[in-house]
Amino acid sequence: MRTNNLIVAFGIGAALLLTTVPLRGQGEGGAPNRAAAPKPWPPQKLSDGQPDVQGVWAAVNAGSTSLTNPISGGEDFDRRVSGQNIRRPSRVIDPPDGLLPYQPWAAARQKQQESDYEHPTKPEHIDTQHRCLLSGIPRLYTIVPSFRIIQIPGSIVFVWDEYHAYRVIPLDGRPHIASNVKLWMGDARGRWEGNTLVVDTTNMRGARLTYIGDFNSENAHVTERMTFVDADNMTYQATVDDPTVFTRPWTFRISQKRRPDDETWESACWEGNPDPDVWLKK
Amino acid sequence: MRLRLPSFAILVTLSFVHPTIAGAQNAAGAAIPRTADGKPDLSGIWQAMNTAAWDIQDHAAQKGVPGGPGVIEGNEIPYRPEALAQKKKNYEQRATLDPEIKCYLPGVPRITYMPYPFQIIQKPNELTILYEYVHTVRYIFENGTPHPKGPIEWWLGDSRGRWEGDTLVVDVVHFNDQTWFDRAGNFHSDALHVVERYSLTDPDHINYTVTIEDPKVFTRPWNMNMVLYRHKEKNFQLYEYECYGFDFEKIYPYPDLGAAR
Repeated sequence: MRTNNLIVAFGIGAALLLTTVPLRGQGEGGAPNRAAAPKPWPPQKLSDGQPDVQGVWAAVNAGSTSLTNPISGGEDFDRRVSGQNIRRPSRVIDPPDGLLPYQPWAAARQKQQESDYEHPTKPEHIDTQHRCLLSGIPRLYTIVPSFRIIQIPGSIVFVWDEYHAYRVIPLDGRPHIASNVKLWMGDARGRWEGNTLVVDTTNMRGARLTYIGDFNSENAHVTERMTFVDADNMTYQATVDDPTVFTRPWTFRISQKRRPDDETWESACWEGNPDPDVWLKK
Repeated sequence: MRLRLPSFAILVTLSFVHPTIAGAQNAAGAAIPRTADGKPDLSGIWQAMNTAAWDIQDHAAQKGVPGGPGVIEGNEIPYRPEALAQKKKNYEQRATLDPEIKCYLPGVPRITYMPYPFQIIQKPNELTILYEYVHTVRYIFENGTPHPKGPIEWWLGDSRGRWEGDTLVVDVVHFNDQTWFDRAGNFHSDALHVVERYSLTDPDHINYTVTIEDPKVFTRPWNMNMVLYRHKEKNFQLYEYECYGFDFEKIYPYPDLGAAR
């Protein structure tokens, strides 16, 4: 039984690795790999007054396994093989117990979804990431592959390597789009407070937050604070306010680090993705 | 009467006449926006306003298909005989064979004239294009580096750009043979070589010319030409067309947790 689960989990992981790991320039005619060029700090100001934080970034201790015990994929594998419990500090900083403040029915649903992920029998038990669907906000800031920040007058743009996901965040104070429109990436509006980018995201869809079945509803309102603490480090913090699922707003934090500014090459995901439903148990 | 010119003549014509035409239009129209380094600034949200997504050649309307003039200079696609037979087969079976039905990345230049807006983000050494259709992203590298050594089969190819006067010239290679040019079955092989030319004719219009070269499928290079229009609506922004996501909406994510419950 355990072996079967292991094969399922590992199989999906391997299938993903084979099909979705994006390519980066390797110096064969394209631009050579470069070390992250030193960036000035305090940051230079762009023409519209934004601090210049452009470049490639990625989360430290990243992974979608769990927010409350954020072990890596490798540690998850070790845990399954050895049977030993491996713990990492929770990413959740509020509430102070580091747990997600689910309403009772939602806590039960998360447990069910964790169990379904381990013993998938229906298509909806497969995590959305394994189908190349957009993970949305805030989950995309917890995945392993990097993202690129590009700043243009009046907007800041995030483009992820994986899934070629992107979000364009206007900084001009314009209103959100009509509330009946639900977007996989939500509708984001931002502003700078010094070197902290504050982003207000609405128009969300319900989404999975981790492999262990954590989730939010489409009524979630996400407030992100991305604090650039020096030229190479950023602290990402997201507060999720979703009265449909949780008893109170909660906040998690994950560190992000600057990465080499290599060319980003094509990352097709859906096009080569083996049907994950083959892993469903009959 | 149709002029038949050897391919080199067409290429020469393109290189010399086209920038001249663009220049004349620039002089006649309003001043074009420029970046700090003096290059024409292509930044903004754009969209084609034609029917090339359905058929790049002249075509009459059918139910669900708007008719309209094609975008090919001379309207003729110089297929090799066996390739023409394949095109006809593709057309007959387009309802099932068109890769768009599978929601795959549509290739270049098809992504440009899909009926969805796209946003160009221009930086000194790199152009990023974000397309609304299946959140497609293209990077056009303008740092003087050559294409990576192949063979590589990408859906959108490898794009390297350079400025020739006020025209951005983008050379694209390393395609796979899985994409089409339109919903009418026009196709190419993995030997496809695309050269795109973007030139602002005034602040709100890009003259977009494409040279298609694929000796496995065509007897000579051929050209498309169309206008890309700037979206001027207040607060216009890209939404989403998550093509393959629609099929999963009934199971993801939490359709039972909506506000309308």
